[in-house]
Amino acid sequence: MLTFEHVRKSYGTTVAVDDLSLTVRRGEVLGLLGPNGAGKSTAVNLAVGLLAPDAGRVLIDGVGDPRSPRVRARLGVAPQALALYELLSGVENLRFFGEMYGLAGTALRNRVAWSLEFVGLTERARDRVAEYSGGMKRRLNLASALVHDPELILLDEPTVGVDPQSRNQIFENILDLRRQGGTLIYTTHYMEEAARLCDRVAIVDKGRLLALGTVDELLRTHGARPTLVAQTEHGERRIETDDPLAELNRLAAIGTVAAFQMERPTLEQVFLQLTGRSLRD
Amino acid sequence: MKRIIALAIKDLRILLRVKSGFFFTFIWPVVVAVLFGFVFSGQSQGPRPLRVVVVDEDQSDASRAFVHKLASSGDLIVDQGVRSDAETMVRRAERSAFVVIKPGFGNSSARMFYGEPRQIEIGNDPARRAEASMLEGLLMKHAMGDFQKLFNDPAASRQMVDGALKNLAPLGNSSPAAPLRRFLGELDLFLGSPPLPPTSGSGSDGWQPVRITKVPAAGERAGPRNAFNITFPQGVMWGIIGCVMSFAIGLVSERVRGTFVRLQMAPLTRVQILAGKALACVASISLLQVALFAIGIGFFNIRVSSYPLLVLACACASISFVGFMMMVAGLGRTEQAVAGAGWAILMPMTMFGGGMMPQFIMPGWMQMIGNFSPVKWAILAFEGAVWRGFTPSEMLLPCVILLGFGAVCFAIGVRGLREA
Repeated sequence: MLTFEHVRKSYGTTVAVDDLSLTVRRGEVLGLLGPNGAGKSTAVNLAVGLLAPDAGRVLIDGVGDPRSPRVRARLGVAPQALALYELLSGVENLRFFGEMYGLAGTALRNRVAWSLEFVGLTERARDRVAEYSGGMKRRLNLASALVHDPELILLDEPTVGVDPQSRNQIFENILDLRRQGGTLIYTTHYMEEAARLCDRVAIVDKGRLLALGTVDELLRTHGARPTLVAQTEHGERRIETDDPLAELNRLAAIGTVAAFQMERPTLEQVFLQLTGRSLRD
Repeated sequence: MKRIIALAIKDLRILLRVKSGFFFTFIWPVVVAVLFGFVFSGQSQGPRPLRVVVVDEDQSDASRAFVHKLASSGDLIVDQGVRSDAETMVRRAERSAFVVIKPGFGNSSARMFYGEPRQIEIGNDPARRAEASMLEGLLMKHAMGDFQKLFNDPAASRQMVDGALKNLAPLGNSSPAAPLRRFLGELDLFLGSPPLPPTSGSGSDGWQPVRITKVPAAGERAGPRNAFNITFPQGVMWGIIGCVMSFAIGLVSERVRGTFVRLQMAPLTRVQILAGKALACVASISLLQVALFAIGIGFFNIRVSSYPLLVLACACASISFVGFMMMVAGLGRTEQAVAGAGWAILMPMTMFGGGMMPQFIMPGWMQMIGNFSPVKWAILAFEGAVWRGFTPSEMLLPCVILLGFGAVCFAIGVRGLREA
């Protein structure tokens, strides 16, 4: 659906995206996970044709350059910075963005109504955006990306600065889209979000793609082994193991195990393993 | 095109919801046009009468008649009082001056050709010399009126001459008054003779020191019918300026708030986005022009000499200032920067261009600088269509200048926006 082929983009002497090669498959949710400044937003801007690569190319469905308006019509974008007209109401914003993508008449009305319903803003549709909470604005930002029923949806840090209620609503929305077979790129620096929402995760840092795969693949390849944490008469024992049941039996055979738990590795550990830094550094 | 129209409608909707923008675009121009129209209308009715205090120290029939004449002339607003009060009122600037009719005014009025003349004293603030000079002229005019009246009334004249001859009789023929006695004797003879038939062209108005006849000399073009013909084009300019600033700041706001980038992510070209902005600005300027001229025509007696030329002038002004709006929007990266830079350019441009006061009352050097302001050419185009009675060829110059200015500004603005 979307392909980056050896894409490079610099701002002056700063390399924002460095030899990025990546393919987003139709019907998958691909997470771009990396710390702030990793080049995630630049990658999104390249994908929507806002920026031209210095080298390499970005293709939609293998042929279309997103700098062409005709190709961009197939994309839906929720940028990281809220891009809404605060003096217009929620419904007026969605109607306007729908018109920008060529919708009109009944189709426009239906899609606007669906989008408002989808993000849970139907009751506040006629209120001006200036009166919305931060979370409601984020949800409307998401709705503006969906109003024209795009084939590829790019969500750039869609949960930044939102309250837990709106965050959960946005998660549910994305999982709904995933269930409906939508194709999404989801950028985040929260590994929990990537692990929960994405089919595959691309870990990026300093503009480079460090690893790509499903969460399990990444954990298996780059994470530490699972850790068995057991409380014995000799105190707490932590054992890295690929076969925790065998280790538990071994501990029970030589003493008493009062309690135990398994600690699975995280994407945080994967990032640490790949870069030597924490994701939140 | 549908997308461009949708962009324009969105911008117009936002303009109507920004109260300050709406006020300066649609309300303020009407206030300017109407308020200044009334101010200039007041001036066109001539100078206000001077307000003076008259102190009649003579209290004769002649002095009272003179005071009455001053009060009823319309040249002066006359209050009577005593000298001390009059001095106080002038010192406090409550009156322009005071006029004292000195004792002996009545006696002197009865002997015009000899003895002490009638004496009047003017008291005024030295800082208001112009008003004092004007008052002196008015007093002289009314005193001369007495003289004229005397000549036009033979009976009164003979009475005065007879009295004078009686008074001079004791002096004898050898005194210095002898030539005056001879003159008065001849005058008495003249006044006693029957009047001559009026000669051709002499009329029958009696003796006059000079006869001034006004001959209407209509100009090649009619002037403005009233002050509103001047102030409404100025008001339209203020509205255009309000539109320019609202849309320039709106465009920068879109950049600052990320919606401009969001539009670039949509299937729109940069040209379409800017065209939408330009269309919204043209639409609001046009709406303003229609509304303001409709108010002027409907309520303030503005008569348009050529509607097609007015439409042309409005279109050229709209296009020109849309280009200027684009340039202003490219002058800074924040709303504050653009607002500051925009007003810094617009204020002198408006002042020298005749948007604040009519150019014809400016000194020559200011008028010359005004030639570089599009405000001057826009107002000239409006006036050309409204009351100057321009021909299409005369309208060409302001229109070409406006369009050229707009094109240059548009190019600079688009470049600035691209770099921003």
